[in-house]
Amino acid sequence: MLHVRNLHAGVDGQEILRGVNLDVELGSVHAIMGPNGSGKSTLASVLAGRDGYEVTAGSVTYATQDLLEMDPEIRARNGIFLAFQYPVEIPGVTMMYFMREAVNAVYRHRGQEELSAGDFLRLARAKIGPLGISPDMLKRAVNAGFSGGEKKRSEIFQMSMLEPTLSILDETDSGLDIDALKVVSRGVNSLRSPARSFLVITHYQRLLNYIVPDHVHVLSQGRIVRSGDRSLALELEKHGYGWIEERAAERVALGA
Amino acid sequence: MPAATERRSLYLERFTDALRRADGEPGWMRRRRERAMERFLTLGVPTRRDEEYKYTNLTALRDARLLLGPARSGGLPIDAPHIPAGQRAVVFAGEPGQVTVRGEPPRGVRVRRLSKVLRTDPPGLETHLAATAQFKDHPLCALNTALFADGVVIESEPGVIAEEPVHVSFGDGLGARHPRVLILARRNSSVRVVERHSGAGAFWRNAVTEIVAEPNARVDHFRAQLDSLDAYHTGVVQASQERDSYVSSFSLSFGAALARNDIGTRLVGSGCECSLDGLFAVRGSQHVDHHTAIDHAMPHCNSHQLYKGVLDDRARGVFNGKIFVRRDAQKTDAVQSNKNLLLSDEAEVNTKPQLEIDANDVRCTHGATIGQLDATAAFYLRSRGISAAHARNILTYAFAADALERIRDASLKEHFESVLLSRFAREEH
Ligand SMILES: Nc1ncnc2c1ncn2[C@@H]1O[C@H](COP(=O)(O)OP(=O)(O)OP(=O)(O)O)[C@@H](O)[C@H]1O
Ligand SMILES: [Mg+2]
Repeated sequence: MLHVRNLHAGVDGQEILRGVNLDVELGSVHAIMGPNGSGKSTLASVLAGRDGYEVTAGSVTYATQDLLEMDPEIRARNGIFLAFQYPVEIPGVTMMYFMREAVNAVYRHRGQEELSAGDFLRLARAKIGPLGISPDMLKRAVNAGFSGGEKKRSEIFQMSMLEPTLSILDETDSGLDIDALKVVSRGVNSLRSPARSFLVITHYQRLLNYIVPDHVHVLSQGRIVRSGDRSLALELEKHGYGWIEERAAERVALGA
Repeated sequence: MPAATERRSLYLERFTDALRRADGEPGWMRRRRERAMERFLTLGVPTRRDEEYKYTNLTALRDARLLLGPARSGGLPIDAPHIPAGQRAVVFAGEPGQVTVRGEPPRGVRVRRLSKVLRTDPPGLETHLAATAQFKDHPLCALNTALFADGVVIESEPGVIAEEPVHVSFGDGLGARHPRVLILARRNSSVRVVERHSGAGAFWRNAVTEIVAEPNARVDHFRAQLDSLDAYHTGVVQASQERDSYVSSFSLSFGAALARNDIGTRLVGSGCECSLDGLFAVRGSQHVDHHTAIDHAMPHCNSHQLYKGVLDDRARGVFNGKIFVRRDAQKTDAVQSNKNLLLSDEAEVNTKPQLEIDANDVRCTHGATIGQLDATAAFYLRSRGISAAHARNILTYAFAADALERIRDASLKEHFESVLLSRFAREEH
């Protein structure tokens, strides 16, 4: 469903992604791990269409379409969702208004009828309850003054409202205690289906005990240097990234 | 005939008309008009050499032919959307004399035509009218004083707390219009006034509003300037506050090709409080200038100021906030803030606090910001499916809306929220 080919991208002429290849099939969960600064968030940003990232080579197709040609809102309406590593605070805009506009934009795109205020509220309440957030959050300004944990739950809430086809979770587990981690994982797992895929960016194998991935990739210095199944995550936990990076460097040195 | 001489004779002609209309006014008013006319002729329309008008070019107003425009009637619907049924509204449609009054004033509040009040000359009028707003150093205030034909006097009886606001609306005009409002809140009373300027066509409106708050009185003044984009608007709001009084002023300025508002209060008794707030939103080649002045003359007074500006296209904004703290005004607490949002690279704003502090035990803070839309926030909205144009509208609205939070009246607030929305709505998809 998502095919990333030889993707090179950077900021201000500085290359960050240096030839990423990745295939995500419908219904699968892929985990991406890698050291700080390896380019994980950059990959997520490029997929979501953030301004300021320049693609210098390669391609991304999503459901047979050229993803890189689409504006961010068109990607979102077509089912791409990014849970931000650092969710943005927007004072003066309530969660309720924001989500209603977003849901209706997506519905319009799908040719579905827009939700009335009442129907929206019912839907939002149903989605918010299992995440352990008070519905009062809907009346607050988007992420403004939310605790770290609340912000992450808010991202999962938004995801469950928009029911995306491809969800990219950028370190949604960072800063969560074990209970919050379970809640967030349940939120993700309840959306898992043969019609949805997930790209889960994390530093911690712990998350992958709850959201069990089909594939695990290691991103290092802008390239996927190793892919495997869950056991790769366990290995990384034990040995760190050092051994993988060394081998990758060796291969580069040998011209492989 | 040289231009200056021609201008002078045109002004004098208008003045003769004004005096003819003002026949029957008390002698003190006539003398004030004469002094004001003299003062205006001496000072003339301000130029940019004047420090007070450094960023605002009023050259267009020097064309005295502006004063000659014929009267035009109508244009302003009496059922303005912001006036709930039943509330007292005085609507000046255009030419003096074309006045509609509807609804009931709040109990204990008198709402009368200025031209009529002047002829009965009740006690107190001489103390306040054309005395609260001083014209000595203000040529446009002087011109209004010399030429005003009519307006409204709103007076609350001592101890009366008016729940509902009084509405005063000024509609279309050609040529120049010099409306005048006097708000007189007697001791322990409370009154709210909504003053709205909304005229079509090209004309010059030069309005003056005087506010007097007697001891322990409260005045909430809301001013909406929605004149046409071909109009020039100059306005003065000047308050004088006695002991323990409270005055709030909200200036909403969306209209006019060029608008200049001078809004000030003198705190002449101790224990006073005032809020001077405003929101301007301009685009195209509009220019809007707010000069505020708070004169802390007595101890233990608080003042708050929050002015917000939204500027699009090539629009220009000016905010100049003066705070004087006189020697006796110990324990003054003055807070001033001006925040501006530039939606285009070509928009510009000049903002300047001006503090003159002669007392030592005071707290005065001021801050100004000029920013652009937060690109990260816009991306966040778009990443959820919201279009770029809608994201821009949402963020612009969010920036401006918290200024509107200061409007207490719910229906009024709602009305101006929708006006604000329509001002900045871009094509959305
Ligand atoms: N907008 C930007 N401007 C400048 N440099 C950037 C920008 N975005 C990313 N970078 C740089 O690119 C590199 C990769 O950053 P990225 O955020 O993608 O890493 P990451 O793998 O997500 O790291 P972390 O695990 O710390 O979140 C870093 O060196 C970072 O400083
Ligand atoms: Mg990151």
